Amino acid sequence: MTSATKEQSELWAGLAEDLGAVQEPAPSEERRLRVPAADFDRAARVLKEAGARFVTVFAASTPEPAIIGAFALRGELVVVRAPTDDTDLAAVLTIGDWWPAARWAAQELAERHGPRPANRSKKRLLTAPDADLLDRHVSGLDVFTIPYGPVRSGIFEAIQFQIETGGEDVPRVQTRPFFKHRGREQRFVRLRPDKAVYVAERVAGIASVAYASAFSQAVERALGAPPPPRAERWRAVYGELERMACHLDVIAKEAETAALYVGQARFQILKERVMRWRSRLTGSRFGRGMIVPGGVRFEGAMGLDELLGEIDAFEVDLRRDRRLFVGTASMTDRLVGSGRLPRALVEDYGAVGPLARGSGLSTDARHERPYGDYKRLGLQVITASEGDAMARVNVRFRELGESLRLLRQSIDQLRRSNGELQKRLPTDGSGSAFGWVEAPQGELVIWVELRDGLLERVHIASPSLRNWALFDHAFPRDVLTDFAFIEHSFGLTPAGADR
Amino acid sequence: MLQWIARGLGKGRITTRYPRHAEAPPAGFRGRIDVLDSDAAPAELTGLCPTAAIAIDRQRRLTVDRGRCILCGACVQAAPDRFAFVAQYETATRTRSALIVPEDRETPLEPLRETLAEQARALRRSIHVRHIDCGSDGSEEWEIQALWNPYYDIQRLGFFLTNAPRHADILLATGPVTSAMRGPLERTWDVMPRPKALVAVGSDACSGGLSDAGDLAAGSVDAVLPVDVYVPGSPPSPIAIMHGLLLATGLLQAVAA
Repeated sequence: MTSATKEQSELWAGLAEDLGAVQEPAPSEERRLRVPAADFDRAARVLKEAGARFVTVFAASTPEPAIIGAFALRGELVVVRAPTDDTDLAAVLTIGDWWPAARWAAQELAERHGPRPANRSKKRLLTAPDADLLDRHVSGLDVFTIPYGPVRSGIFEAIQFQIETGGEDVPRVQTRPFFKHRGREQRFVRLRPDKAVYVAERVAGIASVAYASAFSQAVERALGAPPPPRAERWRAVYGELERMACHLDVIAKEAETAALYVGQARFQILKERVMRWRSRLTGSRFGRGMIVPGGVRFEGAMGLDELLGEIDAFEVDLRRDRRLFVGTASMTDRLVGSGRLPRALVEDYGAVGPLARGSGLSTDARHERPYGDYKRLGLQVITASEGDAMARVNVRFRELGESLRLLRQSIDQLRRSNGELQKRLPTDGSGSAFGWVEAPQGELVIWVELRDGLLERVHIASPSLRNWALFDHAFPRDVLTDFAFIEHSFGLTPAGADR
Repeated sequence: MLQWIARGLGKGRITTRYPRHAEAPPAGFRGRIDVLDSDAAPAELTGLCPTAAIAIDRQRRLTVDRGRCILCGACVQAAPDRFAFVAQYETATRTRSALIVPEDRETPLEPLRETLAEQARALRRSIHVRHIDCGSDGSEEWEIQALWNPYYDIQRLGFFLTNAPRHADILLATGPVTSAMRGPLERTWDVMPRPKALVAVGSDACSGGLSDAGDLAAGSVDAVLPVDVYVPGSPPSPIAIMHGLLLATGLLQAVAA
């Protein structure tokens, strides 16, 4: 037994003893503890002390109504389950008061499941925003509030930022998500997993593959039926293509914001090339309809030799465009030092993805809890320490290179082997599990509960919602014209956050 | 900066010539669903569709509502003798009923691509487009943004993006219209000057898609405002959206004439 796992076992034993917690059977890489609702807060504090990262808190329904908190700790997902009825919900939700990472998740839970506040109309709700309700927190002669959104300038998804500014400095920004709440988690209920995967693909459309993969992996883990290795390879290929498209989109938008129009066009061209590969491989420009619980539906329809050739040509172009981008002072001047997020703050908020990696946190679900093909592919986690918009863009640039390397490996393996693509899953299975992937925006975690082959409850901990809470703190020394640069450097999607 | 200019000029033309020339999708592209055989359909076919786009009437005649269809392919896989994917980009229509196939005979025909090309050429003033997201999954926004990239470059046809609804001729709306976005959608439409056209982009906007009408969403854009052009698809491709914009322009020109 290595010292790390020994230490971990001691931690479990200590926790269990300390709290009267019961360890429950769990799928691999999950560690499940049951605690009384009154002890939930204490358990969370002990986990935080031990260095855990908050992932999510939500209401589960099987086998009994319970609040579940999930925490990432040393390559495992710690699942703390507190059976509860609504009356002790308030005791559980105190976690949001002292752990910034848990604030929005706890608030959402309280608004959806807690007792309804009497003066609801006056209270500002996180999950039911009103575009016209303006806040003023900063007082001063020239300070005014700009409600930016939900109808944005340009073609952007609906979200609102209330920016309090005197015109130059930005003393306060308040992010208001949930304009796009469509009740996607509810939409899964009573569906068979093979149909529900279409819902998963349409939670956050730009990360369809990530959502479909995380959902499928959760179902497969709940039923104890892993997919065939060849299906995992294809999932990795589609996952990396998706990461490339999203990263290129962020870089093109940064160039657009700096009015670097040729640069914008160049990165849009690169992105469109990735979209067209996906279109030829899957018939969908977003790689939809390919990933299903149990595996993937078809072999990619594009010749693998041809794809490898195109990847080589793509890399040559990407290198040139990147060199020009980082060598253009009018571009990098806007990014260097903008939206600086210190590492401690990022840790406090449990941020994930390129955002966290840009502040020096080496967090990547592909590395922390390797899944699918990433157990075989060696991944280099890319980090930068500066914590500014430039660091986040640089992380993305280097991850594009890493994605190309992973793609070549996976495609080469696919080319040299054969095998089945899909395993039939039991149609009347029951169980629950988390599934996760590293989406382009960061770690995506999906919880599923199955009863007799139908979905009973699905919860989505999206990277976008978790990272967006940090946006309010991203303007320490920045001015209003930096706003768009900082927003794009976050690279998040409201559709995923709002669900 | 000079290097960027050289880089921009270095490549040959990559822009599509649509609508003057047809643009063919790659083989296997999931553009739309066609019904191959609509007669004597067994009732259980309706259960194949996650969005209830498949309907069977009393005469056991089978129809597919492309406005509801999210192109998942569950029906094509289960009943390949009845349903098939067609690799085609142009899917927009000017009526909701024209999205239900096979069509009734009364459904008016859509103008041909050549007609649209004529129209685009005759475009004397530029058309200004504004977009509003009413709860899409985010992919429609990517495909609309793509219209201004060098591959599609819709500016060559006289379409410009505007941030001010008061300057806009066409409003592109995406998503099933969540309750929080209903007010902003109505207000955006209200302040647009006439003549104006409303284009519903994506199956979510055309029919609600996976979102039914209820407390959370209106269930489609036309449940809130009269829609002029429907562009189905999940999401529709950039060429499909371009097709929808050209149809909407035709409507605007008819009003102006």
